[in-house]
Amino acid sequence: MADVCCYFQVHQPYRLRAFRVFDIGNGAVYFDEKKNADILKRIAERCYIPTNDLLARLITESNGAFRVAMSLSGTLIEQLETLAPEALESFRALVATGGVELLGETYYHSLASLADPVEFRTQVTLHGALIESHFGQRPRVFRNTELIMSDAIAPVVRDLGFTAALAEGAAHVLGWRSPTYVYEAGAAPGLRLLTRHYQLSDDVAFRFSARGWNQWPLRAETYADWLARTPGDCVNLFMDYETFGEHQWPESGIFEFLARLPHETQSRGVRFLQPSELATRQPTDRIWFNRPTSWADQERDVSAWLGNRMQRAAHDRAYALRSAVLKTGDATRIEDWRRLTTSDHFYYMATKEHSDAEVHSYFSPYHSPYDAFIRYMNVMQDVQQKSEATVTA
Amino acid sequence: MRVLMFGWEFPPYRAGGLATATMGLVKGLVQRGVGVTLVVPFPVTARSAEGARLLSATEIAERFSIVRIDSPLVAYAGATEYLFELRPADSASPMQAPSAVYGRDLMTEVDRFAAVAARVAELEPHDVIDTHDWITFAAGLRARGSSAKPLVAHIHATEYDRAGDGANPAILAREWAGLHGADRIIANSHRLARRVTDQFHVSHDRVDVIHWGVDGIRVAVDEARASDRLLGAAHPVLLFIGRVTWQKGPRYFVDVARRVADYFPNARFVVVGEGDALPDMVRYAADVGIGEQILFAGGVEGPEVDRAYRMADVCVMPSVSEPFGLVALESLRNGTPCIVPRESGVAEVLENVFKIDFWDIEEMTNTIVALARYPALKDTIREQGLAEIASPRLGLDEPARRTEAVYRRVVNGVNRNG
Repeated sequence: MADVCCYFQVHQPYRLRAFRVFDIGNGAVYFDEKKNADILKRIAERCYIPTNDLLARLITESNGAFRVAMSLSGTLIEQLETLAPEALESFRALVATGGVELLGETYYHSLASLADPVEFRTQVTLHGALIESHFGQRPRVFRNTELIMSDAIAPVVRDLGFTAALAEGAAHVLGWRSPTYVYEAGAAPGLRLLTRHYQLSDDVAFRFSARGWNQWPLRAETYADWLARTPGDCVNLFMDYETFGEHQWPESGIFEFLARLPHETQSRGVRFLQPSELATRQPTDRIWFNRPTSWADQERDVSAWLGNRMQRAAHDRAYALRSAVLKTGDATRIEDWRRLTTSDHFYYMATKEHSDAEVHSYFSPYHSPYDAFIRYMNVMQDVQQKSEATVTA
Repeated sequence: MRVLMFGWEFPPYRAGGLATATMGLVKGLVQRGVGVTLVVPFPVTARSAEGARLLSATEIAERFSIVRIDSPLVAYAGATEYLFELRPADSASPMQAPSAVYGRDLMTEVDRFAAVAARVAELEPHDVIDTHDWITFAAGLRARGSSAKPLVAHIHATEYDRAGDGANPAILAREWAGLHGADRIIANSHRLARRVTDQFHVSHDRVDVIHWGVDGIRVAVDEARASDRLLGAAHPVLLFIGRVTWQKGPRYFVDVARRVADYFPNARFVVVGEGDALPDMVRYAADVGIGEQILFAGGVEGPEVDRAYRMADVCVMPSVSEPFGLVALESLRNGTPCIVPRESGVAEVLENVFKIDFWDIEEMTNTIVALARYPALKDTIREQGLAEIASPRLGLDEPARRTEAVYRRVVNGVNRNG
């Protein structure tokens, strides 16, 4: 019988304000303080605080038999600190139960792993320090932005000292293999890979409240049966933390589902394990990533962020300015630039069709992908002018 | 199924989208096997000849008959524009009395059209009658009086859209009569349907919304890029196309052009179309200092229309009111990015356009500067726009299919008004 490994991604970006061409060079701020505050407070109230409380209770009641993993981006923690300190406190209380393993990632939830290995290392290091200072844990397992993994990224992750990394259980990576075993990165021997069981994960994350789904409404008993019946060593359930209370509303019964899940699962003889526990197991096989893989969209590649020309132009522009920005030595400017590397900015510029487009527009705070691009490029122009001004001054 | 349709000019008088829309509908209906008799009041100008060519498209001709009523009526908008269009034909007496006289004459023409309509309805076999906007409503009502067949009223724009606070009460009265007298109303957008229900107090359940479509892609992606290379980013070309009248916001276009010129001194601003606000637009452009950069191309017809779109980097529609906005579909069809009013009908159906409030000069400028600066933006929206416009939901068959369904419902006695 397979063990179950639950992992939740917790992240919020700094969304841009309507930064117009007239704002360039006029000292205007980049980020929409009001919108970011409104969204963060809403999600803290609807998701973070109630889910943290529930998980803490479930962990305590089970004497630690129920345990999970999470990763909190640096941009989230910063915003919690200033806008919703009570939510940050509730994360601390949850971690203090001892039932939460915190994973490493890039501080800015960026795509630096695809663009610049030096910047990538810097952001991962910054994140590790932040987590340690807030929670007293040093992350040992890595989870890159949106589970992006490639043969180029794996060795960098291993060299940063991580024992394992999370990845998407994509068919083009696994081939005939099942996601329910521990693997090793072919490109980085020694680095374990835990691959997401996307079907069982998405049953909760995407389909839970879908009335057209033939399994609706999903009961914890049914889902626990599925988990108990899944062959293999481990079922990796990886999803957005906002699934609870935000993507799936309380009215959908998501909290009742979560409340019953540990008991229903354990009563069927299934154990909960954390990623670092799974990472001690011998890998079944080596797997390779001949192209960058992620958990996003149908393609499970990086096209959600870098699929069209606008996205690539914007991303290239950001990294082309990196050295000029760092050269200024101005902490605020460097911080602003790093906030602009957050993957969400590029996600909002996607022009995909069909079902993925709905997911993208659900998350986008802007009118259109074109609007997202224009704001971003105007901001980048401002970043460039300010950096040049500082360097010449 | 045979429809007796009272329309505007046909084939299109290029200054406006309504003739294009009517032609598109007729084409779509005919392709579906619906017989169409279109009754039109031709204008006295030579423009109608242009249309005859389009009409001679062979497969259409068989199931399509056209009944011409000789009339000096230029069938767009209200009395003021009628005056503007009539002037050349009436040049023997240049200084005529103010618009009241012509206003009365316009109504007389409309009534003459209606009187002939009753006779046409006796002669032409049909199952259903269709009309397009106020100028044909009286004709439709008379035709129904004569044949007792159900009457459908297509509404493309109301007098409130065309004239705002300056709405002509006589035209409003005719719109009221047509909308309340018809058995079924077809509005070209949800926005217009709301106006019909809110301002004309027509019950929701009598109105269907059928968005317009256009036929075929005119330009391949590669071809569109070729024109791009020709112009270059340093010389962005902005296009205003349509009737130059209050409704279309010509002054807002000039305001945007003036702001864009600050960023691109070599920019060119092209105005295609004629209308009562043209002299004011010319003056205003000179006043704000872009007289050298703005080109007034006048009315353009046929293939020249597509060329106008293709030479432009962006088509700007700062319409104060735009119940639908076919220009946007034509622009996308030619691979030209388009700015449409946020509150337009076309904004309800298109994704790959810039939706901006007509008064938001800054946001339009911001968008145009970005288009000119970033080829990635222009290429992406152009490709996405071409892909979108090729989808069947924006073609000619979809509105025709849904219109035919409305015809069948009224013919079968469903939703008859009293």
